[in-house]
Amino acid sequence: MTTVAPTAGLPLALSGLRRYWRWVLLVVGFVILQAVFSSADEFPAWFDDTFKDPIDRAGNWMQAHRRTHVVFTDFFTPLSDAVRWALDSVESALLWVPWFVLPASVFLVVARSHGWRPALIPAMAMLYPGLIGLWEETVDTLALMTIAVFISVAVGVPLGVWGALRPRAEKTMRPALDAMQTVPAPVYFLPMLMLFGIGRVPATFATVIYALPPVVRLTTLGIREVPSHAVEASEMFGATPRQTMTKVQLPMALPTIMTGVSQTIMMALGIVVLATMLGAGGLGQEIMDTLSQRRTGRGFAVGLAVVAVAIVLDRISRAVVVTDRSKLPSTRTTLIAVSALVVLVIVGFVTGTTEFPDVWDVKTFDPVDNGVDWTRDNLRWLTRWFNDLVVAEFYVPVRDLLIDTIAWPVLVFVVGWMSWMIGGRKLAVFTTAMMLATGAIGMWSPSLDTLTQVVAAVALSVAIALPVGIWAGRNPRVEAALGPVLDALQTIPSLVYIIPAVIFFTVGVVPGIIASVLYAIVPGIRITALAIREVPEASIEASQVFGATPRQTMFGVRVPLAAPTIMAGINQVIMMVLAMVIISGLVGGGALGFATVSAVKRSEFGNGAEVAFAIVAIAMILDRTTQAIAERLRPPAAEQ
Amino acid sequence: MSTAQTIGVDALPAVLAGVGVYKVFGPKPHRAMEMAAEGISREEILRTTGNTVAVCDVSFEVARGETFVVMGLSGSGKSTLVRCIARLLDVTRGQVTLNGDDLMAMSEKELRDVRRRNMSMVFQHFGLFPHRTVIDNVAYGLEIQGLARDIRRERAREILDVVGLGGWGDHYPQQLSGGMQQRVGLGRALAIEPEVLFFDEPFSALDPLIRRDMQNELLRLQAETQRTIVFITHDFDEAIKLGDRIAIMKDGAFDQVGTALELLANPATPYVREFTEDVSRTKVLRAGNVMKPHEGETVGPTVGADRSIDAILSVLLETTDEIGVVDPSGSLVGVIDRGAVISLLEPGS
Ligand SMILES: Nc1ncnc2c1ncn2[C@@H]1O[C@H](COP(=O)(O)OP(=O)(O)OP(=O)(O)O)[C@@H](O)[C@H]1O
Ligand SMILES: [Mg+2]
Repeated sequence: MTTVAPTAGLPLALSGLRRYWRWVLLVVGFVILQAVFSSADEFPAWFDDTFKDPIDRAGNWMQAHRRTHVVFTDFFTPLSDAVRWALDSVESALLWVPWFVLPASVFLVVARSHGWRPALIPAMAMLYPGLIGLWEETVDTLALMTIAVFISVAVGVPLGVWGALRPRAEKTMRPALDAMQTVPAPVYFLPMLMLFGIGRVPATFATVIYALPPVVRLTTLGIREVPSHAVEASEMFGATPRQTMTKVQLPMALPTIMTGVSQTIMMALGIVVLATMLGAGGLGQEIMDTLSQRRTGRGFAVGLAVVAVAIVLDRISRAVVVTDRSKLPSTRTTLIAVSALVVLVIVGFVTGTTEFPDVWDVKTFDPVDNGVDWTRDNLRWLTRWFNDLVVAEFYVPVRDLLIDTIAWPVLVFVVGWMSWMIGGRKLAVFTTAMMLATGAIGMWSPSLDTLTQVVAAVALSVAIALPVGIWAGRNPRVEAALGPVLDALQTIPSLVYIIPAVIFFTVGVVPGIIASVLYAIVPGIRITALAIREVPEASIEASQVFGATPRQTMFGVRVPLAAPTIMAGINQVIMMVLAMVIISGLVGGGALGFATVSAVKRSEFGNGAEVAFAIVAIAMILDRTTQAIAERLRPPAAEQ
Repeated sequence: MSTAQTIGVDALPAVLAGVGVYKVFGPKPHRAMEMAAEGISREEILRTTGNTVAVCDVSFEVARGETFVVMGLSGSGKSTLVRCIARLLDVTRGQVTLNGDDLMAMSEKELRDVRRRNMSMVFQHFGLFPHRTVIDNVAYGLEIQGLARDIRRERAREILDVVGLGGWGDHYPQQLSGGMQQRVGLGRALAIEPEVLFFDEPFSALDPLIRRDMQNELLRLQAETQRTIVFITHDFDEAIKLGDRIAIMKDGAFDQVGTALELLANPATPYVREFTEDVSRTKVLRAGNVMKPHEGETVGPTVGADRSIDAILSVLLETTDEIGVVDPSGSLVGVIDRGAVISLLEPGS
C-alpha cells in the first residue's frame, strides 16, 4: 500500500483505458471516419422515391376514388357525413338560440351541481368572446371541440376499460398512446387529409387522435385503482362482470376518468387552433389572421377566447357528471330553471335579439397594438442584437457544422455510439436505424436544421428553467407566487405563444425559438421545483450535520438526488420545443416545420409522409435517449 | 350459545363442507402441493419453487346454525381459505360443498345464483361503495337479484333498523364512523337473507369498545335468527366469544378444530397450547359446563346454560343461594355450586 512500484505508469494507463475505452473509441472513430469521409456529399437519398411514390399514388388514388370506392362510400364517407352532420347541428343549434341563452345555460348547468359562485366564471367565459366580436367563430370552435371531446370520450373510455381488464391489451396500447402524444400534431394532419379531404371533419379527427390518450390512460388507471374489496363485495353478491363494471368499477373510477376528460379537453384546445391548417376555420383562423396582421392586442384577446372555450367545456363536463346526488337541487328548482331558459329563448325571439350585439369593435385593441408597436420599435436594438447573436453565433455555425462539415457517416456513428453508451444495444440500433432511414428518404438536411433549432431552444429553456425551478423548489413563497402564472401559461394554446415572438422578432428561426422557450419553460420550471422539493429531508439534514454549506448541500445532495426527475422534465421540455419548432414553420422557421405546412397546404402526400417520418424519428430519438439518461441517473433500486 | 353446541354438531347435517382444500399461489402449484404433502415447510417451498402454499389440505364441516371460527395469525391463510370457500378464489385442489353441491364444479352462472340467494360476506375493510348512499349499499344485493327499486328500498330500510342505522340511509358511507360503516357492511350482507355468512376479520379494524359492541350485536342477531357463519379472526377472545367451534390455523393448515373447552382442555399441539395458556377459564367455561345436573325447582336466580362464567359472576356474588341453570326453552337443567366456581377463579387451576 505504501510503496508505489516504479512501473505503475503503464498499468495505470491500461486501467484508465479499460475505464474510458468507450470515450477513446468515440474520439478515434470520429477522427478516422471524418478523415475517410471528409469529401462525402450530402446523405444519398437512396429511397426517396421508393418511399414517396407509393404514398403519393395511394393519396392520389384516394382522392380519385373518394366518391366511388367501397371503403369510402361505405365507411369513410358515412363516417365523415355523420361527423359533419353532428358539427353542423351543434353549431346551428348554438347559433339559433338567442345569444344570452348560452351564458345563462352554462351558468345554470354548472350552478345545478356546484352552486352559483363557481358557475360565474364559466358563464363569463361563455360571454367573453362575444364581447370582442367573435361570437360565431367561438361557436364554431366550441362545436368542433364538443364533438371532438365527445368522440374521444366515447372511444377512450371503452378502450380504457379494455386496457384495465386485459393487461395484454394495455401493454400493446401503451406504446401507441405514447407515440400519439410524443409526435407533434401536424404529423397527423396529412393522413387525415388523405382520408377525409379538407375541412372541419379531418380537423375533428386530428383533434380526437391527439386528445384521446389521457382519457384512455386515466380510465385504465381509475378502474385499476378501485379497491379490490369493493369489487369482491360486488362479486360476492352474484353480480355479473358487466354489473360490477357499471355499478361499482366505473362509478368509483369516475373522478379519475374526469381528470382524464379535463386533460383531453386541454389537449383538444391546443390542437383545435392548429387544425386551421386543415381548413377548420373558427378561432384558429382568427389567430392566424391576427398573426399575419401583426396585431398583438387582438391576438391575445383571441387567444383568451380559446381559453374561455376550454373553461366552459371543462366546467360543463364536470357539472354533467355528478357523483353526489344529495347536493342536487329539487325537481322544482330544476323546473324553474328550465322554464327560465325557455322564457329567455322566447324573449330573444320576440325582441329579435338572437345575434350577439357589437359591443367592442375592431378598434378596441388599437391602443394595445400601438403600445406594442412602440415598444417593439424602441426595443429593436435589443431584439436585433439578440436575433443576430442567435443566428450568427449559434444557429448558422451549428447547422453548417452538422450538415456540411461533419460527414454524415460520422454523425451516424457518433450518435449511434453514444446511444449505446447511454442505453445499450437496443437504443443504439434504434437511433442508428432511424437516422439512416431519415437520410435515405432525403430528409437529412432539413432534419438537422430542425434539430439545430431544437438544440438552441432547449439550451435556452434549460438555462432559464433550471435556476428558476431550483429557486422555486427551495422557496415555497416563490413557488406560490409563480403557481398561478404557470397555470395560466399552461392553458394557452401553443399557437398563441408565437404571436409575441413574431411581433418582436419578425420572421426567421428566432421567433420559433423564442416561442418554443416560452412554451417549454413552464413544465421545465414545474418539474425542477418538484424534483428539488421532493428530495428527502433526511438526506439534507445528514449533509448539514456534516457541516456542509448550503451551496455544498445544493450541489452535493439536492441536485444529484433530484437529477432523474429533472431529466424527466428536460425530456418534456425537449418534446414541447420540438412540437413548437414544427409549428413555427408557419412563421418562417423553415426546415421540417415549413415542409409540413406546405405539404398539407398542397396535398403533397409523399413529401408530407417523408417529413412526418423525419419528425417522428427526431421525436423518438430525443425521447428515448433522454429517458435513457434519466434512467441512468436514477439510483439503483433496492434488492428484493 | 346456539343449538349446535347443546345438541352436538354431529347430530345436524353439514351445510358447508370442505375436503382436502389446497390453495397455492405461484407458477407451479402441483409441484408445490406434492412437496407440501411430503411435509416440506412453506418457507422451503417458497424459496425453491416460488410458490406460496396459502392453504394446505384443509377439511371441515359446518353445521346449520353453527358459528365456525377460523383463528390464526397474520399470513396463516385465513383470508385465502374463506375466499376459497366462497369461491372468490378457485382452489388448487379439493372440494367445497354447499348443501351437498360442489361449488367448484359450478358454472359462473350457477355460482352467481348461489351467491345471490345463499351466501354473503362481510369484509375486513368493509368493501363499501363510496358512490352509493348507505341505503343503496344495503340494497345492492337485492338490486343484483333484480328486485324493483321500491321493494328493495323498503327491505333495506328494515335491515337498517335491525343493524341500528335507522335514519342514516341517505348518508354516504364515508360520512359514518368505522363501527357504523361495518354495520352497513353487516346490513348489506344480511339484506339478502343468506343461508351462509362469511366474515373475514370484520371487526379487527375497529377500536376495542366498538369491537365489543359489534360482537354483542352479532350475538344478538344470531340469537334471533340462527345463520350458518364462517368467521375469521386473529383474536382468540373473539373466537371464544362468538364461536361454537374454533379451528386453529397455522401455516395454511388446521392444527386443531374443537370447542373452546376442548382446545383448552386438550391442546393438540404446542402451538395451540401457546394460544390457550393465557386465556382465563372463566371466559371459556359456560354455566352448562360447571353445573350439576338437577331437575325440578330451585328458589335462587337462574342463568342461561350458554352464558360464560365471567358473565354470571355478578349473579354469583350477589346471592348465597344455589343458582339455577336453564336451557334456551327456559326449563331447569342443573344448578351451580358456588364453591366449584370460586375454585376455578384461583390461579393455576
Ligand atoms: N393473490 C396472492 N398471490 C400470492 N400470494 C398470496 C396471495 N394472497 C395471499 N397470498 C399469500 O398467502 C398467504 C396467506 O395469506 P392470507 O391473506 O390468506 O393470510 P391471512 O391469514 O388472511 O393474514 P391476515 O391476518 O394478514 O389477513 C400469505 O403468505 C400471502 O402472502
Ligand atoms: Mg386476511
